[in-house]
Amino acid sequence: MSAVMTLTKEIATEKENEKDALFRTSPVLEIKNLSISLYEDKGGEEHRLVKKLNLSIRPGEMLGLAGESGSGKSLTASAILGLLPKSLSVSEGQILIRGQDLLNLSEKEMGHLRGKEIAYIFQNYQDSFTPFIKIGRQLVEALRSHDKISKPEAKKQALLWLERVKLPAEQIFSSYPHQLSGGQLQRASLAAALMFEPVLIIADEPTTALDVLTGEKVLDLLAGLQKELNCAVLLVSHDLKHVLKRTDSMAVMYGGQIVEKGATKSLRENPRHPYTKLLLKARPILRYTALEKFAAIPGEPGLIAKEGCTFALRCPLSFEQCYMVPAMQPAGRFQWTACQAVDREKVDTNA
Amino acid sequence: MLEVKNVSKSYRSNTVLTDVSFHLEQGECLGLIGESGSGKSTIAKLILALDRSDSGQIIVNNVDFSQLKGRELRKARRHVQVVFQDPSASLNPKLPVWKSVIEPLENYPEASPSFLKEVRNEKRKMAEILFEKAGLQSGLLDRYPHQLSGGQRQRVAIARGISLQPNLLIFDEPTSNLDVSIQAQILNLLKDLKSEINMSYLFISHDIATVQYISERIAVLKEGRLVDLFKTKDLFSADRHPYTKELIDAALE
Repeated sequence: MSAVMTLTKEIATEKENEKDALFRTSPVLEIKNLSISLYEDKGGEEHRLVKKLNLSIRPGEMLGLAGESGSGKSLTASAILGLLPKSLSVSEGQILIRGQDLLNLSEKEMGHLRGKEIAYIFQNYQDSFTPFIKIGRQLVEALRSHDKISKPEAKKQALLWLERVKLPAEQIFSSYPHQLSGGQLQRASLAAALMFEPVLIIADEPTTALDVLTGEKVLDLLAGLQKELNCAVLLVSHDLKHVLKRTDSMAVMYGGQIVEKGATKSLRENPRHPYTKLLLKARPILRYTALEKFAAIPGEPGLIAKEGCTFALRCPLSFEQCYMVPAMQPAGRFQWTACQAVDREKVDTNA
Repeated sequence: MLEVKNVSKSYRSNTVLTDVSFHLEQGECLGLIGESGSGKSTIAKLILALDRSDSGQIIVNNVDFSQLKGRELRKARRHVQVVFQDPSASLNPKLPVWKSVIEPLENYPEASPSFLKEVRNEKRKMAEILFEKAGLQSGLLDRYPHQLSGGQRQRVAIARGISLQPNLLIFDEPTSNLDVSIQAQILNLLKDLKSEINMSYLFISHDIATVQYISERIAVLKEGRLVDLFKTKDLFSADRHPYTKELIDAALE
């Protein structure tokens, strides 16, 4: 019996070591002190929608960015792709891909990177393809626009990738987008995103428009291909279930700020920030015995404190200091929390 | 109080519902789950008599809805109300929300909900009481729909839904558009209201976890057929239909 226990323990340490290794390799994406602002007019008042965000993802790592509407998670994803709406701009910080700052690149250089080194999958997969051109031709053209290869060679690659996303390749190749189901179309856009073997994939709510079962299959596929390619994935989702189930690490955003981040397992088992705690409790999850009542979070996601911790106005634990500068502080081995109240935690948030 | 008997429906050559039967007790909440295209919203449409079934019966309080026409149908409809996923589509953008909330009461002067008895002729007062029931501050009475948040709008739609004290309130994905923290608030509200006003709910959703929380029984629809119907406490029983088990697996973490 003790032999079995030692063995289990050994396996456990091995897993821990693997995880350590994951956190040690140098990041593919590093976001440093990023702020995104909306200016009312030229020189007018500044509204900061994303505030001093720090984040990094390593090869083979899937990081989940979770938060409610207005948390800034999709803005962050758009900023990485250089696709922020015109009214918004990056007001400070850096977005580094393998050490290179994307914010210093020209539109043209960014265009080369986007779609090739950095791939993306969106919620509205219908928009990934032009409706009146067959899927195959679109894939071939995309391949040839980034790489100098012949048409037959491109076709071969496109077919291969359609197979890799488990679609009937020949049939899909010669179909128009509208002839595909939602799940098929999202798979095809996954093929389009992955065929350049990108170093980073941005998946912004990739399953929100899909049925539950179809969505799970798409995520299975994404996870499998990520392993094969050893690329980094940023999964943006309002659905904590996907983030908890799929990612290695996660960041929880509220009102443009990361309130807590770290290893997913660590955040899930020991959330420290009151917002993370409440969010984990407020969502409907399947339970063996159904709950009598949810622990609802008071207020609305639009309620954002201007200074200090963005969640302070809705937080049951907030005190004066929360309205000053939030400081990200270690709250575990692989966990950081921007909460001033985290050490005053005698107050019960279970109510 | 509601009986759906062998209902089938096709649109042209598309069969949407095949021989669907279930019933609902007074004061009960039945959850109806299924993926898109399973026919769950069509069932709502048929019960609301917004469309006719090809065959079968829909009986509300011993009256066969599928046989009613004109004035009779209009009269009977008051007992069945609905709250949709997108409240901005069900509220008149040109009306302050308090007027939208009492509109059903103006359309049915004969309706006399117990909680509005004392103020039945005072429109503003009725709206105030309905607002309070839905957890809305009276300061929001004069707002227009676009001036409210998504959660507040859904509360307005709920206030309107309960205004006639219907026997049956149908919810079609009422929380799918809302943020997690608001979802929980709304679900808590619905649970409270049901016991307070004594209504029956038909709660349509694609999310099995939400349905587990709110319903006493669950019906599972797949490609227009009812494949499973059971008490919520038996959700994890071995007798569940393979499709139900698949949905459960996908929902577990």
